[in-house]
Amino acid sequence: MSTPPQNSLVNRVDPTQGSAFSRKMRSLGSYLRQHWVLYLMLVPGLFFLFIYKLLPLWGLQIAFKNYKIFAAETPWKAITASQWVGLRHFKKLFASSQFAKVLRNTLAINFLKILWLFPIPILCAILLNEIRNAFYRKLCQTMIYVPYFFSWVLIFGIFYSLLGSYGIINLLITSLGGERINFFGDQGIFRSVLIFTEGWKEVGYNTVIYLAAITGIDVTLYEAAKVDGANKFHQIWSITLPGLLPTIVLMLILKVGYILTTGFEQVLVFYSPPVYDVADIIETYVYRIGLGQADFSLATALGLFNAVVAFILIVGANTVSKKTLGRSIW
Amino acid sequence: MAKKVKSKGIAMDASEKFVTGFAYVLMTIFALIAILPCLHVASKSISGGTYVASGSVWFWPRGFQLETMEYILFETQFFQALKNSLIVTSVGTLISVIVSITTAYPLSKPSFKGRKVVTLLYVFSMVFFGGIVPAYMVVQMLGILDTYAAMILPFAIVQFNMFIIKNYFEGLPETVEESARIDGAGDFTVLTRIVIPMSTPVIATVTLLYAINYWNNYFHAMMYVQSTSMKTLQVYLYDLINSGSSFLENLASGGYTGEGVHTGLSVNITAEGITASAVTLSIIPIVLLYPLVQRFLIKGITIGSVKG
Repeated sequence: MSTPPQNSLVNRVDPTQGSAFSRKMRSLGSYLRQHWVLYLMLVPGLFFLFIYKLLPLWGLQIAFKNYKIFAAETPWKAITASQWVGLRHFKKLFASSQFAKVLRNTLAINFLKILWLFPIPILCAILLNEIRNAFYRKLCQTMIYVPYFFSWVLIFGIFYSLLGSYGIINLLITSLGGERINFFGDQGIFRSVLIFTEGWKEVGYNTVIYLAAITGIDVTLYEAAKVDGANKFHQIWSITLPGLLPTIVLMLILKVGYILTTGFEQVLVFYSPPVYDVADIIETYVYRIGLGQADFSLATALGLFNAVVAFILIVGANTVSKKTLGRSIW
Repeated sequence: MAKKVKSKGIAMDASEKFVTGFAYVLMTIFALIAILPCLHVASKSISGGTYVASGSVWFWPRGFQLETMEYILFETQFFQALKNSLIVTSVGTLISVIVSITTAYPLSKPSFKGRKVVTLLYVFSMVFFGGIVPAYMVVQMLGILDTYAAMILPFAIVQFNMFIIKNYFEGLPETVEESARIDGAGDFTVLTRIVIPMSTPVIATVTLLYAINYWNNYFHAMMYVQSTSMKTLQVYLYDLINSGSSFLENLASGGYTGEGVHTGLSVNITAEGITASAVTLSIIPIVLLYPLVQRFLIKGITIGSVKG
């Protein structure tokens, strides 16, 4: 870059003239002339990026405004036309019991999911690896992986068929003389339904990730351990688990990083008013007050709060992962 | 060869036997937990109404009938919803894959000027989401509410998928590209003739990720689309499940015996059966594509998804 190409036309005219800056500009110019196609390629992506990802950020200002949809000819123009109110919506939000509730629910549901579900795929991967019969191993893996490709609506339909008021489980309970259980409407049970269905969908996918990591472990380590008299438990404890550790840590960091932003579509599909107290999470609440009750400013304020905290968590998670494991998501 | 003799020669010790046995038992249970609910819904969808209502259909159909399936297919909006989902998924995936490739390629060139700034924009937009309300306002402002475009364009580029392709491109050997350039090929030719053919596995993976995204999405299709004729399969299915339950509950509360049989229709058509049939019909496309999906996604998880 610093040495100008001798055969370039520009430099042949006067190779000594011009400051470092203008030389740099000339070399940039020749780069652009040579590679303009690359810039053209970026255009469609940048178009989508600006319109659909960055333009909404302009709309975030209504979190600090008293947004009136009819303040101008169009709802979009009304954004600029509305009055600034400073932090009023945030104060209102942080003082409300609803905010505390949805924050608590978000953290509780996602924390319980990590607590109950995080170890399962690790166990599955280790156990699958112990199944000698290749066909049977593949069969089990294929079956537990299937639900990952189902949408939440489809999963809701499947579990509705099992757990609904007239689902097979309740028909069994009533035929045995028991009381119907309202799995989707009982506050004491609903979170368990969320956790179980999350596991049903995700365990297979995560198992595949850990299986890939197990494949990377050096087989000779096991051979050596066997010679030294290590039994299977020792081998799993001192070879497989340490080999999986970087992946385990990475997955855990990511899970914590995304603790505020996961589970939205699942809750949206599964919940109903009777369980709002235990199931309403930040994003479902934003959706309901924003597009349901048309309280745009308050919803945007909560959305912005969520976005900022989530941003800090995700960037933090990525930094921790980069520092400790040398691996990052970007 | 020596290894083989050795592993055959040494008998499995107790710990190994235990772990292997435990593995077979537990993994069988897990596989059954994954598959039995699907089998139940599928069985229910083609079982006779009285068997369904009495709770005697478990994992195999009883009193085989196809009337419920016919009802779903011809008396409801199923085909319209299927058509909408197919349009959104195919057009959306095509746009997404092309745009992701053309974005990933320049950003994968270390010498590309402006690379850092543009990459940073994509990373930032990936980790900072402005929220549902402003996103909705943009779609509304553009006047594309209630169109296919509203279900496609805002999600045309998933940054994470684009980065998977970019990471893969970065790992390709420079030499092949260079020799093509010496032969006079420009950037576009190098991308379409050399880079893309060398990257088919990762492109297949990302194509599937996008297709699954579009196909499975419920929220966006629900939020941006109002008219019945524009509903996608997921929205259709959700509405059907919810109306199916109220349908049955209304019948039950109206002095109905609770056997779940609609009097105006064939005895085989029950609310439970209707839900089960719609769910089963929605599972079929996924099961048909599953071998393909599994092949590329298992591979895909290991390529480029996380920067090494």
